[in-house]
Amino acid sequence: MTATTTERAPVDPAEPAEPAVHRNVLQRTFGRPTVGRRAVGLRRRILLIFTLGSMTLSTFLAVTTFGLTRSNVVQQRDRASIEAARRNAQLVQDSLRANPPNIEDARDALAGFGVQRALIWYRPSQDWFTARDAPARYEASALPQALVDRVIGDAVPSRMVVDVAGETTIVVGWPVPGSGAYFEFFSLDDVNNTLGSVRLSLVFAGIITTGLGVLLGVFAARRVVRPLGAAAQAAKSFAGGRLDTRLEPTDDPDLSVLANSFNEMAASLQQRVQRDARFASDVSHELRSPLMTLSASVDVMEARRDEMPERARAALDLLSSDVTRFKGLVEDLLEISRFDAGAIRLHMEELLAAEFVRQAVAVSSMPDTALHVSERAERVLINGDRRRLARVIANLIDNARLHGGGTEPGPVEISIDVVDPPDQPVTRIQISVSDHGPGVPESERTLVFERFARGGSAGRRSGSDGAGLGLALVDEHVRMHGGKVWVTDRLDGRPGARFVIELDAEEIDE
Amino acid sequence: MGTRILAVEDDERIRSAVKLALEDEGWTVDEAESGEVAIELFYRQAPDVVLIDIMLPGIDGFELCRTLRRTSAVPIVMVTARNDTHDIVAGLEAGADDYLTKPFAAKELSARIRALLRRIRPSSPAHARLVFGELELIPEEGKVLRDGEEVHLTKTEFRLLCELAENPGKVFSREALLDKVWGYDYFGDGRLVDVHVRRLRTKVEADPANPRHVVTVRGLGYRLQT
Repeated sequence: MTATTTERAPVDPAEPAEPAVHRNVLQRTFGRPTVGRRAVGLRRRILLIFTLGSMTLSTFLAVTTFGLTRSNVVQQRDRASIEAARRNAQLVQDSLRANPPNIEDARDALAGFGVQRALIWYRPSQDWFTARDAPARYEASALPQALVDRVIGDAVPSRMVVDVAGETTIVVGWPVPGSGAYFEFFSLDDVNNTLGSVRLSLVFAGIITTGLGVLLGVFAARRVVRPLGAAAQAAKSFAGGRLDTRLEPTDDPDLSVLANSFNEMAASLQQRVQRDARFASDVSHELRSPLMTLSASVDVMEARRDEMPERARAALDLLSSDVTRFKGLVEDLLEISRFDAGAIRLHMEELLAAEFVRQAVAVSSMPDTALHVSERAERVLINGDRRRLARVIANLIDNARLHGGGTEPGPVEISIDVVDPPDQPVTRIQISVSDHGPGVPESERTLVFERFARGGSAGRRSGSDGAGLGLALVDEHVRMHGGKVWVTDRLDGRPGARFVIELDAEEIDE
Repeated sequence: MGTRILAVEDDERIRSAVKLALEDEGWTVDEAESGEVAIELFYRQAPDVVLIDIMLPGIDGFELCRTLRRTSAVPIVMVTARNDTHDIVAGLEAGADDYLTKPFAAKELSARIRALLRRIRPSSPAHARLVFGELELIPEEGKVLRDGEEVHLTKTEFRLLCELAENPGKVFSREALLDKVWGYDYFGDGRLVDVHVRRLRTKVEADPANPRHVVTVRGLGYRLQT
């Protein structure tokens, strides 16, 4: 056995590799895997990108704008200051040209133009004069030495930004040929105020832009995720058996990739399922024909059973019972393949539960099975496919007959009860079939509903009768009716199994 | 003269087995392996019941059924290997009175044939003549007249109309009709009733889409209205 397995491996290497390839494709499509980390949803990721993007962009714009504005305003102010200082220096120079030059004339002239923040260095007296009414802080000590050296020493007009008593100030110095030098202070406070309000509006603008970015992100994320939602819904509906589900074609080239490949997949799956269904129906024809001959021939022989020798009779009995079993098996197999093909269409109708079960028992393999219907359950309607539900009852009765000890240890009983408490309206009923067999051990209670399940406990199921689809069909049928089926212990505590079907129901309104 | 049955089936072994089983019932069985042979035998032997397998080479079961129906009201049982709604309804639409799904038990087949034979001879009618507007029913003669002209119904259609006419205005459930006309138990196929009612309407109603006599009572069944 081991040898066969190891030999097989290299022959079929594509098989295990395939899922891995698919996972890679998925990873590439939907981003990095988030192993060991909390996964960030696509929507949240888009939102985050938009938020960060708009924040970065608006910050960058605000900073650039502010920088440009400031240098612009400062430059303008600079030029204006230099120009004003030059004019005033000219004024001073003109005043000092009088004979004899008098510094007071210059101060008067400045005062006449309202210039207060000025200093005059008068070479002849090697002394500093302030303008009239000059605020105390604008005096020679406020001038940086470098500026003084350049203007007085080198006789070059110069400017500098200094801090005078906490105020940012431009100091412009103009040499006054022959008489000394002229210095004037220009406060930048109003410029700072302007820049402050510019900064404030930029911050507001940034916040608004970021907010708009977030909104846009929410919108975009929703837009991006919407087709995914549609795809998910389509996939769900497809898995639920609606094989004609397709995504709507779209003009969006990115989305049409998803839609097209989904639709292609759906089409090829549908085709495959339909092929299987066709195969099942072909098989049906092929199997049913010989069975037909067998069955009819056995019937003819049965009619002459009394004329047969004993050994032939025994053989006929074997043949007859196995033809019946074979027929049942083929029927079950076909029905279940129809389930797999999703080809089952229920013919739903309203059924009076008690009446229906009575009829179903009457045509089953044990028509005399006792039926207990609670008073309330007599007036209950269920919605279902009459013939399929009858099959469910028949299969449960067959199961009780074959595996529940038949009627030997005690009769098989069927009961119908309403699940809801007496003071509430009827919504669910239970139909249960109890037998007196060995019961079903806890560990096998879901297993028995699987296809061809054989009871594990030795001897419980008598040899040939074990394999079957009866209970698997019960499970499929009941689930298709929106109900559930399970096996449990008998209510009276004696050994035996109790198969319970629970279905939606309603009371007859009268 | 005994009952004659024509069995049309392309599988020789099934044909032989079915013939053996039906002969056990005391009936005479003619075999046909194709539709062409069946048509020839039908006119030569005038069988009481025809058994047709849907899957036939050449003329298929549906076509054969339609061909026979054009000239005859003979009871037809359709045999299908599939349990598809489509096949069954198509068979009934083609004119079959009843159907069986392979593999069926010989006992089931004889029971169906007996029910069809019973239908040919309706139980003693309560009335000699029933009139519903322009419709006139003469159960004893097996005749239906519309505006004085005879309407050709199959045995099953006639029997269905008679059952409804027994109690004009009473609602008959599908189950009740299945039991009375086809001899089925509770688990008979309601489609038998539906398709036959549809066919009956095309013959007796002036406007089959808006029936005035054979009326559907939603969720309950059918009734005959005067």
